[in-house]
Amino acid sequence: MKRSFIWVVLTLFAALLFWNPPPALAAGPPAQTGDQQECLACHSRPDLSLEFPSGELWSVHVDPETYQNSVHSQEGITCTDCHKDITDYPHPPVEANNSRFYQLEHYQVCQDCHEDVYEESLDGIHAREIASGNWDAAICTDCHGAHDTTPAGEPRTKIPETCSQCHSAIYNEYLESVHGEALVDENNTDVPTCVDCHTAHTQEDPRTHAFRLNSPTLCATCHADEALMEKYDISTHVFDTYVADFHGTTVTLFERQSPDMPTNKAVCYDCHGVHNMKRADDPESQVFKENLLETCQRCHPDATENFSATWLSHYEPDLNKYPLVYLVDLFYDIFIPAIIGFMGVVVALDVGSRILRRNRHTPEETNTGKGNS
Amino acid sequence: MATTEKSYPRFTLAQRLEHWVMALSFTTLMITGLPQRYALSPWAETTISLMTGVETVRIIHRIAAIIFMLVMIYHFAVLAYKTFVLRVPMTMMPGIKDAVDLLDHLRYTLGLSRKHPNMPRYNYAEKMEYWAVLWGGVLMTLTGFMLWNPIATTRLLPGEAVPAARAAHSAEAWLAFLAIIIWHFYWVHFKFFNRSMFNGRLTREQMELEHAAELADIEAGRVPPPPPPEAVRQRQRLFTPVAAIAIVLSLVGLYFFVTFEETAITTIPPAENVEAFVRATPTPTPVRPPTVTPDLALISEVGFGVDVSAISHPIAGREECRECHGLEGPLPYPANHEVFELTDCQVCHALDGAKPGPEPVRHSLVERELCQDCHELDLLPQSHQEADFNNRKCLVCHPPAD
Repeated sequence: MKRSFIWVVLTLFAALLFWNPPPALAAGPPAQTGDQQECLACHSRPDLSLEFPSGELWSVHVDPETYQNSVHSQEGITCTDCHKDITDYPHPPVEANNSRFYQLEHYQVCQDCHEDVYEESLDGIHAREIASGNWDAAICTDCHGAHDTTPAGEPRTKIPETCSQCHSAIYNEYLESVHGEALVDENNTDVPTCVDCHTAHTQEDPRTHAFRLNSPTLCATCHADEALMEKYDISTHVFDTYVADFHGTTVTLFERQSPDMPTNKAVCYDCHGVHNMKRADDPESQVFKENLLETCQRCHPDATENFSATWLSHYEPDLNKYPLVYLVDLFYDIFIPAIIGFMGVVVALDVGSRILRRNRHTPEETNTGKGNS
Repeated sequence: MATTEKSYPRFTLAQRLEHWVMALSFTTLMITGLPQRYALSPWAETTISLMTGVETVRIIHRIAAIIFMLVMIYHFAVLAYKTFVLRVPMTMMPGIKDAVDLLDHLRYTLGLSRKHPNMPRYNYAEKMEYWAVLWGGVLMTLTGFMLWNPIATTRLLPGEAVPAARAAHSAEAWLAFLAIIIWHFYWVHFKFFNRSMFNGRLTREQMELEHAAELADIEAGRVPPPPPPEAVRQRQRLFTPVAAIAIVLSLVGLYFFVTFEETAITTIPPAENVEAFVRATPTPTPVRPPTVTPDLALISEVGFGVDVSAISHPIAGREECRECHGLEGPLPYPANHEVFELTDCQVCHALDGAKPGPEPVRHSLVERELCQDCHELDLLPQSHQEADFNNRKCLVCHPPAD
């Protein structure tokens, strides 16, 4: 008897433990994600809108299906996890003057879950622009979406499309480039998208000297990767040969010694193009043989026909390619050891003989007519 | 004792100054040039960094090059004066004797001969060095011009000439550096310290060792007599204008060398002419243009999830609220509900399962087409008074019992 009483108490306790108080509308249809259903009751309406104090009309429609498919919905994140200020209806009055200010006030909430990325993004050009009062600069939701957030970078084509919302002119250039074409036409996963060069969250201002000076190293991350370049039959010496030459040496020294100073020496993209770079054998390429002089003339306005050949086009000179340079190198490879070797031998013999004679012939020195020993 | 201290004149003050100006420019060229040849090795980077960067290094290199070329012009002018006006013997000219001296010296050092060669005023080692500097100076000037003025160069020569000049300039510099360290430093610093470039004189001992033939000439009085002043003056009359023109032309050439072309723009080249911030049009994720603006005040008047009547009938078979409820119709709702979707009713109006809901019609409907025939309006509940319950609409809420 006493034993069964204990069981009853334990059962009741367990029930209490696992009993969730029903939400306010527990009597309604089973809500799959708590308040989500509640909010969507109104916000699924396509015509639902909000008027900001500025007079701007803003759709507050959320497509339920889109939201269901978002990563947040699938992780069980519900409306009020982000819209923390909304707990009830009527909603608190919107204080932001317009939709942009509303977004700027609210995107901070992302750091509740994504603190690392948020902190990281503060170094990025967009966050710095925002801080300096440029409200157009991108915030989390501009790229990731608010209600339609899908896994980042999937599909890969979505990356440049996302950036194109604000950088459409550059996007159009990119689409024409060897990288952009391969991404869109072949769904090639090797080619860089925007974030491979600019990064997703910590974008440096690409107009800085530091970015420019570092850019060859950036290109080299792929173009000096032998395994990767082999797939496309591209030489990995492009970086070495660049660094060994006047432009590359200067840029590398600047990068290491004074990364914030300007240099007028060309980096990869000065010749190959920034967002519209094409294969070197593409007649539209800036480095296609017939176009090369024009490209040189952008920095060397007085250059004439032969000038572009002063650059060895990333080749290492041999008898077929640039034989004159090869022969000069070969000549000195023989001439310097020969001359220096000869001098070394004569000097060594003289040193040796002087030491030997000093030790051996000291008593005979009077024969040489010297009077000072 | 007097003999040990006896010294012999070797270099005039002008020659010594010439040497030191050239040595200074040469050293500067080496300090600024070799780090460019080995630009990315750690020691070179440190050197460049100490000179505040590669652009400064290049400027210093070019200034030193100008000084070096001025010394060369001066040297050629003096050389010409000595040769054509003073007609002094050309003691720097290499000859068979120098080759013999070299071989004799080697045999001597190898112990094959006990006789040290008696060498002239300029011995084979000095001649080698002099001609190396001359050859090197000319080659460096030519290749330096090509590197300084690549656009001018490629007007005449193929483009490849410039990187070839760079290779030659760089390798020749390395050769010169090694030669100075090994050859020059050995003969004048390590073998014994030669003070002739400081005080202009050599000791007798040094003369015996390196210039025994010259010493013998001096001691035998075989010194060429000074040229007659009249002849010198006569030769000067021709030499001075020719030399003046040559020097002026050389200086003009040097100026041309330095300022001939503006190889590159000094500003950073425009990488691309594309605006960074251009919003896509149309916006890929367009904001749906709002069509209806709900009266928010009205909705708040209606309330949300609080104090609303519960649904008093079962839902099954009555999912479409609108069939019965509407702004007008059998069961009207308040005017302020107009803004809501009728399918959303349950968001606010909870289902009260406790209430049984409308009673089913428990009698046969055969020959009872019009409800009103029996159920007079007056007898119906208050909520049914204003509705239009004509015909069979009653059955929507009051379905016939099975």
